Amino acid sequence: MFISGIKIKSKKIHKTIAVYLLLALVAIAVNLIYSLFGHGVHSAAMTWMFLYPLLGGALVYFLIDRSSPLITRFVVYRIAYNSYNSGIGALTVGSFLKGILEIAGTNSDYLAFFIILGWLLIAIGLAIFAFLTVKNSRRAQPQKAQSPLN
Amino acid sequence: MIKFFSKPYRWAGVFSLLLVGMFTFVLLDAFVIQKSMVIVASETGTETATVVEVEPVVTETSYADEHIEISIETLQEYDSTIYVADIQISDASYLKTAFANSTYGRNVKAKTSDIAAAQNAIFAINGDYYGFRDEGYVLRNGVVYRDSASENEALVIDKTGNFSIVSESEVRMTSLSENWQVLSFGPALVENGTITVDSSSEVGQAKESNPRTAIGQISAGHYLVIVSDGRTDESEGLSLLELAQEFQERGCTVAYNLDGGGSSTMVFNGEVINNPTDGRSIEEREVSDIVYFGY
Repeated sequence: MFISGIKIKSKKIHKTIAVYLLLALVAIAVNLIYSLFGHGVHSAAMTWMFLYPLLGGALVYFLIDRSSPLITRFVVYRIAYNSYNSGIGALTVGSFLKGILEIAGTNSDYLAFFIILGWLLIAIGLAIFAFLTVKNSRRAQPQKAQSPLN
Repeated sequence: MIKFFSKPYRWAGVFSLLLVGMFTFVLLDAFVIQKSMVIVASETGTETATVVEVEPVVTETSYADEHIEISIETLQEYDSTIYVADIQISDASYLKTAFANSTYGRNVKAKTSDIAAAQNAIFAINGDYYGFRDEGYVLRNGVVYRDSASENEALVIDKTGNFSIVSESEVRMTSLSENWQVLSFGPALVENGTITVDSSSEVGQAKESNPRTAIGQISAGHYLVIVSDGRTDESEGLSLLELAQEFQERGCTVAYNLDGGGSSTMVFNGEVINNPTDGRSIEEREVSDIVYFGY
């Protein structure tokens, strides 16, 4: 029962990782397609925007899966999950937008909205992830002590 | 509220809508929404208007009266079609600038030929497209419109019509306010007769050969304007170095790159001389300002 529970939780994280990998590929494709119409003009913000879903998304959830997959069983995990994913989304979209404006040769003060909102949501998400990891490890210790294998 | 968003996909749906909305707003704000800030009073009929006593001599490629002489040459060099205008004026006041719809503001745009027509310009080129950015000095016909510095080099035209180049990060607008024109795009191509760009130089917006617009000074009241076609099979476009070489070879002491790409347009006697293109179709792009010669 317990092992199958871990599998279900891991499956959810694996699905999230797969979605983030797909989004990273989409970000790379968008940059390549956009560069076809840019008369050779490139923007670092657009070129590297795929790193947000790749490192911020797939890698972080891979690490969660490796270190503490059981945090997904907490109800509050959903808040962290939503907050963190929204942060990555805001930064990726903001980076894409910055790229469009840079390639066109202009700028916008409103880009700060995406950066501030993105990092704020990521900070909230990470804080809750960390809290849940600690909480989960504390719960796991008594279980470990009761284990017949010890 | 928390219960509502705890259901799968609800938060994702709402937040995605927020992002899409904000994304659309920023694009509209940057490219479409007009923000008129100052409407420029027309000079027509004022006492500063110059009277031309002698009937001008006008051909397809030249204009001459007692105050303004213009001749335009079309060349094929660097796999590109280049339009070179040699212009001489008797007074700096005939080198003017104008805003689209006579209005200073963001995203206020009109075709170079339409702005030129509205000003009765004899000869006109696109300017620095100041209205696409929030920074960069804007001083036109002696009036300061924007004093926020960009990272660009600015072209300063004083009240005697002489050109000089300043770095906006080093020179404040307050010390430039007594000049006739300040344009902010760049980079400078020639200074003191020496080329100031190399083969790796480029403006942020263009990393390869492109349509170009640039203006240079040979001597007092004597100017050179070069516009090149680009992004077509017939005309590749110039690099900044090639453009600078053209100015230097023709004796310019100072030359400055203006907005290029799809904006590059040369208008003479109401006709568009070059082939403006965004790389997809031959069509004049709307810009925020022009540099022109006329009364």
